[in-house]
Amino acid sequence: MAMIEQIGAHTMQGVEDLGRFSRFCSRGLISSFRTLFNPRAYPLIWAQMNAIGVRSVPVIMITGAFVGMVLAIQAYDQLAGMGLEERLGVLINIAVVKELGPVLAAVMLAGRVGGALTAELGTMNVTEQISAVESMGVDPIRYLVAPRMLACLILTPLLIIYADFMGIAGGYLVSVIQLKINSAAYIDYSAQSVELWDILTGAMKGIFFGGAMAIISCYKGFTCREGAQGVGQACTEAFVGSFVCILAINFFYAIVIKSVYTTFWPIKSLL
Amino acid sequence: MHKDVHKDDGIIVVQNVTKQYSGRTVLDNVSLAVEPGKTTVIIGKSGCGKTVMMKHMIVLERPTEGQVFFKGQRIDHQHERDLAEVRRHYGFCFQMGALFDSLTVYENITFPIQQKQKITDWNKMDELVKQKLAMVGMDGFQFYFPASLSGGQQKRVALARAIALNPEVILYDEPTTGLDPVRSDIINELILKLQEALKVTSVVVTHDMKSAYKIADRIVMFHEGRILADGDADYIRNHPNPIVQEFINGQVSESELAPIRMGGTRFETQFHPEDFKPSNPKKQGQATGS
Ligand SMILES: Nc1ncnc2c1ncn2[C@@H]1O[C@H](COP(=O)(O)OP(=O)(O)OP(=O)(O)O)[C@@H](O)[C@H]1O
Ligand SMILES: [Mg+2]
Repeated sequence: MAMIEQIGAHTMQGVEDLGRFSRFCSRGLISSFRTLFNPRAYPLIWAQMNAIGVRSVPVIMITGAFVGMVLAIQAYDQLAGMGLEERLGVLINIAVVKELGPVLAAVMLAGRVGGALTAELGTMNVTEQISAVESMGVDPIRYLVAPRMLACLILTPLLIIYADFMGIAGGYLVSVIQLKINSAAYIDYSAQSVELWDILTGAMKGIFFGGAMAIISCYKGFTCREGAQGVGQACTEAFVGSFVCILAINFFYAIVIKSVYTTFWPIKSLL
Repeated sequence: MHKDVHKDDGIIVVQNVTKQYSGRTVLDNVSLAVEPGKTTVIIGKSGCGKTVMMKHMIVLERPTEGQVFFKGQRIDHQHERDLAEVRRHYGFCFQMGALFDSLTVYENITFPIQQKQKITDWNKMDELVKQKLAMVGMDGFQFYFPASLSGGQQKRVALARAIALNPEVILYDEPTTGLDPVRSDIINELILKLQEALKVTSVVVTHDMKSAYKIADRIVMFHEGRILADGDADYIRNHPNPIVQEFINGQVSESELAPIRMGGTRFETQFHPEDFKPSNPKKQGQATGS
């Protein structure tokens, strides 16, 4: 009896949390959209972009470069065995541009930015600063969440392009300098196989990744429990949540993009 | 003690409000009408629900049951957007200050104004901030961050922020706690002055009976989530209820002293580190858990 009761209580709690989260999401999205057309909020967005984006560039670039480099090392033997080593660039660049660049950049951001957002908002929450914003007749979602969300939405695709670029460059350098692959052939094959479509759809994922990461991190900050431990736990939950969400979005995005691609395949030459 | 209140009885009316946190009742069917232009002081033991009550008055917390009215208009179930409009009539001084720690003192005070409109005349703004800070004795600290101020200083800046926009209603949550006696008295004078000069309605939570008597038009005592006594200073001073008398005179009943008195001459409830060492032959059995 007690067990059934407990399961019931847990389910209720879960449904309630989900409801609260969806409401938070919709309010966050609506506020962000409104903020986009409110020039007075631009300095806030600008400050967040600086904190979120600019300072993430080095770490994102390092991530990208190492991914490209390690792919070159790992894939070389397989391709060389078949005498296809000149096509190494195809493999590296497709992998970087379509999957590894976007996903690893987003995960890196979830750790670096998401954690900081949750900790900041969580601390504001437990010290009643969020209530203070509210008590002054200012919507905390508009003032605190919207600028952060917009900064993440705008910057994640750009940072992904940085990661892509560094991945491609890293792969190229290792292939040509260390593995002694003919540079012209490498570039030629790569250029033939990687399409603009791949790069664009890869970077566009960033909008969804950035949005999911921002809203989860902000939500965890807003609902975080008292004390240093509460804030720490909220950060962990925010990271894990963002991580899982990014991977899930990535999967469904791939399905959608694939079907879009096959639908438009016949008329592609016109585009 | 329970009186019925009507929604037009005061500027803020809390009607039959019950608040529960995960099943625990913190406010129990409380009704209170705050009269406009008067200073209402709320007293009561620590943890009896004063801050929670105060937050209901500005709907930072929503009641589990019951209603809250502002100027006859029901506000407890309003949408955040409409509440924002109502809240502009309020100033709220938080118990812990709640200053924005990423903003300077100056930016903290101008925050509500800046959110409302674009500031064009910065000289006038500087003047205003200076004046408000001078009121609480904090002029000159404009460009400090809250983290580099002492607790009492933060409290005073929070007070300056609450009164910055000349709100109609100011809710002070323990404005003098943590301040030295002289400074506390200045804050009392400030509250009185605001009420006399600007006809501000104040609700003040305090533990300091001296300041309560000084500023109150009416004192409301809470006890375990209910209103125990409600009246002017003289009424409270002469209230027959022993709980009220103990509170206002700062005396404790024997039953509350029991845990401290227990143990006779030696303070046996004290922990001694050596009691927990396994080498202590007397306590060894307990310490190893056998
Ligand atoms: N957000 C909350 N969640 C759960 N319980 C809460 C919450 N806020 C307050 N409480 C509980 O409500 C009770 C009353 O709290 P409140 O802060 O109103 O006390 P208080 O009268 O202001 O005390 P003090 O004089 O120490 O400030 C406390 O027992 C507290 O545990
Ligand atoms: Mg309190």
